[in-house]
Amino acid sequence: MILQAKQKQTIIDAFLIFSITAIIGTVLILACGANPLEAYGLLFRGIFGSSSSFAEIFVKACPLILTGLGCAVAFRTGFFNIGAEGQFYIGAIASTVISLNVTGLPGWIRIFLSLAAGFVCGGLWALIAAVLKAKFNISEIIVTIMLNYIAINFLGYSVRSFLMDPSGNVPQSAKIEPGSQLMILIRSTRFHAGIIIAVICVLLVWFLMEKTSIGYELKAVGLNRHAAACNGISVIKNIILSAFLSGGLAALAGGIEVLAIQKKLLEGISSNCGYTAVLIALVAANSPIGVLAAAVLYAAMQVGANSMQRQMGIPSSIVNIIIGVVVVLILGKEIFGFLGTKRKLTVMEEEK
Amino acid sequence: MLEQILSVSFLTALLSAAVRLAVPLMYGGLGETIAEKSGILNIGMEGVMLSGAFFSFVGAWYSGNLFIGLLFGILGGVAVSSLHALLTIRFAKDQSVSGLALNMLMLGVTSFLYKIMSSGKSYQQVKTFSSIKIPLLSQIPFIGEAFFNRDILTYLLYVLVVMVLIFYKKTNIGLSVTAVGENPRAAASAGVPVHKYQWISMIFNGALGGIGGSCLVLVQLGVFTENMISGRGYIALATVILGRYTPFGMFGAALLFGAANALQIRLQTTGVPISPYLLAILPYAITLVAMLGAIGKNSQPESLSKPYIKGAR
Repeated sequence: MILQAKQKQTIIDAFLIFSITAIIGTVLILACGANPLEAYGLLFRGIFGSSSSFAEIFVKACPLILTGLGCAVAFRTGFFNIGAEGQFYIGAIASTVISLNVTGLPGWIRIFLSLAAGFVCGGLWALIAAVLKAKFNISEIIVTIMLNYIAINFLGYSVRSFLMDPSGNVPQSAKIEPGSQLMILIRSTRFHAGIIIAVICVLLVWFLMEKTSIGYELKAVGLNRHAAACNGISVIKNIILSAFLSGGLAALAGGIEVLAIQKKLLEGISSNCGYTAVLIALVAANSPIGVLAAAVLYAAMQVGANSMQRQMGIPSSIVNIIIGVVVVLILGKEIFGFLGTKRKLTVMEEEK
Repeated sequence: MLEQILSVSFLTALLSAAVRLAVPLMYGGLGETIAEKSGILNIGMEGVMLSGAFFSFVGAWYSGNLFIGLLFGILGGVAVSSLHALLTIRFAKDQSVSGLALNMLMLGVTSFLYKIMSSGKSYQQVKTFSSIKIPLLSQIPFIGEAFFNRDILTYLLYVLVVMVLIFYKKTNIGLSVTAVGENPRAAASAGVPVHKYQWISMIFNGALGGIGGSCLVLVQLGVFTENMISGRGYIALATVILGRYTPFGMFGAALLFGAANALQIRLQTTGVPISPYLLAILPYAITLVAMLGAIGKNSQPESLSKPYIKGAR
């Protein structure tokens, strides 16, 4: 009975959040002096108009899925990793180094080695914050943000020095050999093998979190650190494990972006997906499958909004507003309290 | 080369640049200190400052008056911090989540509004506050120029830092607010209106963060650019921890960060043969190391970022 009422409430909430977001989107489009119907039509056509633009959604979603997954794993363990951005870059650098320097091996082994190196380096990068948090109780939020700036500047340095393409003087690395690029799976689009890797990671993380005792321990530490410690679950070990996984997944996103999309290392390749990932994980309530759905939805909005920007001059920052509004509404859904008195009861129950 | 760095004129210029870079951080840090003292962690400081910067520009641009710009900046900051307060105090939601969402939201809102505002127009700039030399004090060698030949907002900051210190050390209300941050249940049973004090703290948090953002526009640059706070809000959070939740500690920490940043910029212009990108790491690395130095002396308010719900156990 209570469960049913709760489910009903969830559906009503979701519908309200969707409607409010749609209204805000319409108002913003009107504020640009554009016709909302035309804009939504364009958004729709931008997404479903051609196979290449549809595939583009998954190309854009790929890094978001992996970084979002990384954030979700960390948040589940109570490790507030805001460092996906930096871990992404560290992964991209490490993957590039291996891909350019390990030669004489078959292509798929080089791909594997370079992505694995990226994963490990990104994981170790996140570990700095985890050790400081677990050992000395220093806020991981601050440390991961500092590490982001360090990683971004280090990337700027590396593409101008040891990774710089010797045949040019542009701040970017040499091109990855075609043999060790991640291949395109659907012709005349950019749909690449990395997207499959991302989906496999979603399933693996889901299995790890829901079906294994390791996942159980990680979640236990996130739910109540003291209770977990009292039951013989090592808090330090689990925070370190979740940070390593989290950083590794974000770094994998960086490696894939280099091997599949850019085919070289250059600045700004993350296009801030590390920060977006935090919100994706929050919208998805830290569930791996939810991250997949939220990332694809966000990417679809981004692709659609880009075509609105190109053709109607509506700033694509509208997507940032939308996701911010969605999270604020999810947090503040009690604002809908006027819709029924049931709400108060469920809140009280949650608090107990 | 070393002589060039150790010369008096170099060091004077360095200190002056350090103060200039530190002032927005100090406003943000002071606002954050006030919020965290009452037990509310506002990671949304970045969004607060961005809102302050944007709306101060809007106010100053349309009215042509810098003080109206400042007022708009304060209101812009308060709007964001009030939203954070609504979510975290009234609805007792996760403070980190709320703050991050507000940062993203404000990045979108300010970029969007600025694009609409500036469409079709050429480069826009407002006048900036001019510096006022304080007689005698500005004559002090070395520090006079850096601290006492500045704009009105910097002088206001000095006054505010001292006032905040006195408020928390010497007044009853200040002690009550500190108690709210340490143990809200105990404070409530002693008759302290917990939520009211947290709300008031958050209003000040927004006002100060808003001024911090306004500083960049109304004192330093005269323009607004997308994402112009670019991480200063997060640095402000770090200065609060480094400063161990005291106004003067925060002041010192922000000055340290400003100095590291100023040094990095100066070294680049003197032509040191180190990549500017490696030098740019310096301020962040110094902050990290300084945080390591603060280990073990935990002065964080006991109930920081734990929501207080009346009647709940």
